[in-house]
Amino acid sequence: MMCENQPGTLIKLDLGSLTQAAHDAVHLLPCEIQYNGHAAVDKYFIPTIHQGASAKEVSFRGRPLKGQEIKIPAGYVGLVLEENHKPCSEEKGRTVCMKSTFLSFTQWNLETLPSADDCAVMSLMWPKISKAIHQPVDNEE
Amino acid sequence: MLSRKTCETAARPDQWVLIARDSLLELPKKPGDGTFFTRLRNPSTGEGALFLFSSCAQQLFEIKVFNEDYHSWFIGQTVQHDGRLFFATPMDALFLILYYLIKAEKEQGKFQPVDQVIVDEEFPSSHILLQCTQAVQSLHHVTEEKEIGSKKFYKYNKEKTLKWLKKKVVQTVKALKTNNVCVGSAVQSSTFIRSRQILDVTEEDYTRYAHGLISEYIPEDLSADLLKYLELPELSKPVAQPPVKKRKLSDKPVEAKEDYTLFNSTDLNKKKPSNKMTAAQKSLAKVDKSGMKNISSFFSIKSVSKK
Repeated sequence: MMCENQPGTLIKLDLGSLTQAAHDAVHLLPCEIQYNGHAAVDKYFIPTIHQGASAKEVSFRGRPLKGQEIKIPAGYVGLVLEENHKPCSEEKGRTVCMKSTFLSFTQWNLETLPSADDCAVMSLMWPKISKAIHQPVDNEE
Repeated sequence: MLSRKTCETAARPDQWVLIARDSLLELPKKPGDGTFFTRLRNPSTGEGALFLFSSCAQQLFEIKVFNEDYHSWFIGQTVQHDGRLFFATPMDALFLILYYLIKAEKEQGKFQPVDQVIVDEEFPSSHILLQCTQAVQSLHHVTEEKEIGSKKFYKYNKEKTLKWLKKKVVQTVKALKTNNVCVGSAVQSSTFIRSRQILDVTEEDYTRYAHGLISEYIPEDLSADLLKYLELPELSKPVAQPPVKKRKLSDKPVEAKEDYTLFNSTDLNKKKPSNKMTAAQKSLAKVDKSGMKNISSFFSIKSVSKK
């Protein structure tokens, strides 16, 4: 267990990479895609998105999806982090770069209409709750 | 199929979607300062977990993961198979320091300088906790202090700690209320239940929920003591209040079962007493513990390409 993650290791977050970070459109899809890498999202997915009666709609792999735009909470920012492995220099410190930033993303459901009860929306409540847990307490007795 | 996936994953750089506090992006003012991920001891489980530390902000950030099955991302013109959503939120480092103060109290039981207390061979990065100024200045919440010469000595104090934790619970309850978090036993399964729940929710439900959240940051014994200190009855022997009981009977099976498996499957080594785990933690449970274990392995090259 310990050899898997050397506990002393620091993984640097390269803040300088922010200036080169892209502003990509981000979509959370309700299916597992067994692939990492390039895809012509702009060509085949984005153009078919349209505003339906009560939600955004799109067809993906022959399935109709219903979606909603989710805003990142104030004071927070969406980041896509990337680590480029250099197998030969693994001993040297590891670094993670910011590849892309975003302030909202589109969450897609299969059947159900998107709502405030969706897990992804609920999860965005975490920063507020976390703030209450971690902010300093009042000093007076 | 599986082997093809392995090859592709291994060939690609690793990538994660993270929602982070924007203060984390402040550029360092001094050379040597920076922001980095590192492993520290989770004060609840005593095991390693991933944290983010900004030395310019002298702030520790907790990393949690929100993980729903069968999800993937489109990011620009790319597909990311890993559909998880990570969060980096500011964390009160006093929780992590408290772990060491309690340990020192058990082992030495004397007044000590704090830099002698936070020594951890297994997690050498622990010394960064001393750089969290806000937390170090708050030591008086959980210790007795003695000043000899110019040096300060500390000793864990349970009564003060419980008082401090109670304040944490109270401010968390407040946030749960203002943000309309459903703390009843059936959360979010349908709008019908949801609206019904709002009518049903008691002050005790809120306190219990908040206690559950705070318990993620303190050792088990202390969590049990806090439960008593908050005068919350233990869930295992519920008081026979007809309306409450009815709600529990009717609603719990819907959510509780799923909830427990969620916790147990993700937090492999740690079995928590069930009285701490209210089904009410449903909504935030998903954000919660799974990350602590998972993310560490995903930041390790081997386990990612092995999968």
